[in-house]
Amino acid sequence: MKKLGAVPAVVCLIAVALSLSSCGSSGGKEGGTLHGTYASFPDSLDPALARTVEAWTAMYATYVPLLTYAHENGQAGSKVVPGLAESLPRISKDGKTYTLTLRKGIKYSDGTPVKASDFKASVERMFKLNSGGSFFYTSIVGAEKFAETKSGGIPGIKTDDKTGKITIELVEPRSSFTSELALMYVTVLPADTPVKNLTADPPPGTGPYEIVKTEPGRSWSYDRNPQWEKNNATLMPEVPNGHVDKIDIKVVSNPSTQVNEVERGSSDWMQTTLPSDLYNKVKEKYEGSQFRIEPTISTYFFWMNTTKPPFDDLKVRQAVNYALNGAAMERIYAGSMKAIQQILPPGMPGYEEYELYPYDMAKAKKLIAEASPSDRDITVWTNDENPNNEATAYYQDVLNKLGFNAKLKEINAEDYFTLTGNLSTPDLDTGWLDWYEDYPHPNDFFQPLLAGESIRSQENGNYAQIDDPKLNAKIAKLASEPLGPKQEAEYADLDREYMELAPWASYGTRTVSTFVSSDIDLGQVVFNPTFGQDLASFQFK
Amino acid sequence: MADQPKPPAGAAVAGRGPWRLALGRLTRNRIALAFLGLFALIVVFALGAPLWAEHVADTGPNATHTLEKVEVDGEAREVVDPSGHPVGPLWFGADGKFFLGADGRLGRDEMVRLMYGGRTSLFIALTSALITTFLAVALGLLAGYYRGWTDTLISRALDVIWAFPVLLLAIALGIALAVGGLQIGPLTIPSGSIWIPILIIGGVLIPYTARPVRGQVLSLREKDFVEAAIAQGAGPMRVMLGELLPNLASTIIVFFTINVANNMLLESALSFLGVGVQPPDASWGTMIAAGNDLITSAPLLTILPGTMILLTVLSLNVIGDALRDALDPKAKIRLEAHAGLAEPEGTPV
Repeated sequence: MKKLGAVPAVVCLIAVALSLSSCGSSGGKEGGTLHGTYASFPDSLDPALARTVEAWTAMYATYVPLLTYAHENGQAGSKVVPGLAESLPRISKDGKTYTLTLRKGIKYSDGTPVKASDFKASVERMFKLNSGGSFFYTSIVGAEKFAETKSGGIPGIKTDDKTGKITIELVEPRSSFTSELALMYVTVLPADTPVKNLTADPPPGTGPYEIVKTEPGRSWSYDRNPQWEKNNATLMPEVPNGHVDKIDIKVVSNPSTQVNEVERGSSDWMQTTLPSDLYNKVKEKYEGSQFRIEPTISTYFFWMNTTKPPFDDLKVRQAVNYALNGAAMERIYAGSMKAIQQILPPGMPGYEEYELYPYDMAKAKKLIAEASPSDRDITVWTNDENPNNEATAYYQDVLNKLGFNAKLKEINAEDYFTLTGNLSTPDLDTGWLDWYEDYPHPNDFFQPLLAGESIRSQENGNYAQIDDPKLNAKIAKLASEPLGPKQEAEYADLDREYMELAPWASYGTRTVSTFVSSDIDLGQVVFNPTFGQDLASFQFK
Repeated sequence: MADQPKPPAGAAVAGRGPWRLALGRLTRNRIALAFLGLFALIVVFALGAPLWAEHVADTGPNATHTLEKVEVDGEAREVVDPSGHPVGPLWFGADGKFFLGADGRLGRDEMVRLMYGGRTSLFIALTSALITTFLAVALGLLAGYYRGWTDTLISRALDVIWAFPVLLLAIALGIALAVGGLQIGPLTIPSGSIWIPILIIGGVLIPYTARPVRGQVLSLREKDFVEAAIAQGAGPMRVMLGELLPNLASTIIVFFTINVANNMLLESALSFLGVGVQPPDASWGTMIAAGNDLITSAPLLTILPGTMILLTVLSLNVIGDALRDALDPKAKIRLEAHAGLAEPEGTPV
């Protein structure tokens, strides 16, 4: 072996020391209690049921699926990494069999060891609960039948508790399945977890924090997971340790109050995007030190129920698209929105910018005159979060200018998706929705939101209830193929084909923000494109 | 009573009824008159909404103007600037358009919404107070007159409503009816209708008027004039409507006035919490809720509807107090009237 000379050795030692210091601790404090605020309580704190970014942010550092998304900012955060599984899945040549092995020694926060069979039980529990995310997993052999019967188990999932081996058989290849295994819906929970919404008493998890107290609608708190440091931390190096000891989150419905609390330091972080009237002021004052703009991969749109008059008429839907002015939407969102008129947002593979319906009120009115809809009474649904409710009030005014008698129905954010996702709710004519990527694959914007199979009586995902067999087949075909340039081009075409049918009036893609108190090291805060802020990354200076 | 000049011998005594006396007392209460005038102004302000909207502001209460410009002294100004901040009060700088500025990022005319909001709030307060008063008086009369099982049944039912805090009960009903509306037999009220908060407010406050009415009926029931009427063969309806109800009139008037004020506050609270008047329709409560999001940059949007509620409720309470003071000495007046000792005009009581 060749020896190193004295000078090079010193240089090396210094280099190693410097690299260690840059990779390791940031020099901030460990411990303390992080106080955060949300504008509304998450839709669920049960990982099988949670559908919103807000809920996933709340659970990212608590529940770890077999695979997870890297706890990193930006594109790096879209990378799927092993979670409870030792490595990424081994996929058979025909693309239909996924094999994973559970890491040995991992325990839930209550001390129970994690078993391979827990995964199967967790997936079955998700189906039994009619989770809004269940459609991602109906390609597992027997899952579709289990979703209907809720009995007999899912034969496509085989587990061996001794070896920790998990084998998943798919009916057909599904290129996005690896990404889907990293979603919160299929996080691994103890096999005996009750089959009911556990928001009030969240089940034990395997991440660095456990949710210890929940007051639905008001607040929830975390402690460090006692099993994390003992067992799980060293076994799951991809999941970072948390810095703070406790996290208290409370609901403060007024975003201005949230801003005020962060400025005063009585709160360390607000999950909500800044209210529009304070956005520029806070940006000017705190950008770089306490405030950061976070790009998202999201589409904001108004869905139109294609099964009922007046929106069963293509001309009416196209007229609405022509009448909606993206510039007005940008102003309502006060700088945090870029107008788009399509399904896929910028940043998503397959995105190609186009403008099918440039603002033209005269043309919109002409189309309405041609369609001459007999039913002009419309109910417009929105949640009560600002500025989404203002955007919908603007949309309602646009509909009225087109000659409709549109009534606004504003529902509190916690119940909004449950109500509008239930097809027995009366007057589901049109309404507001946003969609943030679950995983970086265009299928995530088509299958859950536009495929016929996603029309469900409860937890409906296809709000427009569009069911076009030709386009359904295209979605299915593309979902089975590995994503490459050819598929991306086809997704771009699919985007245009759907917008020609105008089931939505898309209006923009949004940036959100991270705003923390002066006590928090903003540079350490991770914003994952799928999960939002990583609670484990917050650190006091 | 002060010494009274005796009427000249042989002259007819000019007697005045209790209502005229009460009116006399009321008109001598200058503070009450001032607030009555204020309330009248508020009503005129609210009723004038369509005129202002059509002839001055040239826009409706829910019409948005996000991207529009308004000419102020020859200079075009954006109704909502690119950062989302609405234009402030322009007074008559734009010929009355955006007199009080725009209401937020939707650029709706704040003055028009304030006037229409007043119509909504006053209509809900008055209508629900009518419902409350009508039902409360009916139930109080029945319970107090019949007593026994009727009284027990009505009183316990009122106790059930009474057991809930008013606001909590109203919120619960508001949430329950927010989606499906209300259907009672052939009567269907769609969710979002203004009649939902009217019925909720009208319903939850019934016990607060029915209880005192019942108590007073129980007392009146024992009076000689009631027994006399019954002895003359008057049936229950005639006794209740012909004998008892007129004697409850002053109580009812006072309660009605106070109910209007309370109902306005309740409507504002419910609308602020999102279970009363549904956006984008304006009421002073929804306007406070909407302005709350812009409290730091445009506080006027919250202060204006808040001030209107304050002035309306204050004026109604002062009027209610004055009415009570004017109508309260009724028993004494009746005795005096029976004895032929009616007060001459101008005599302080």
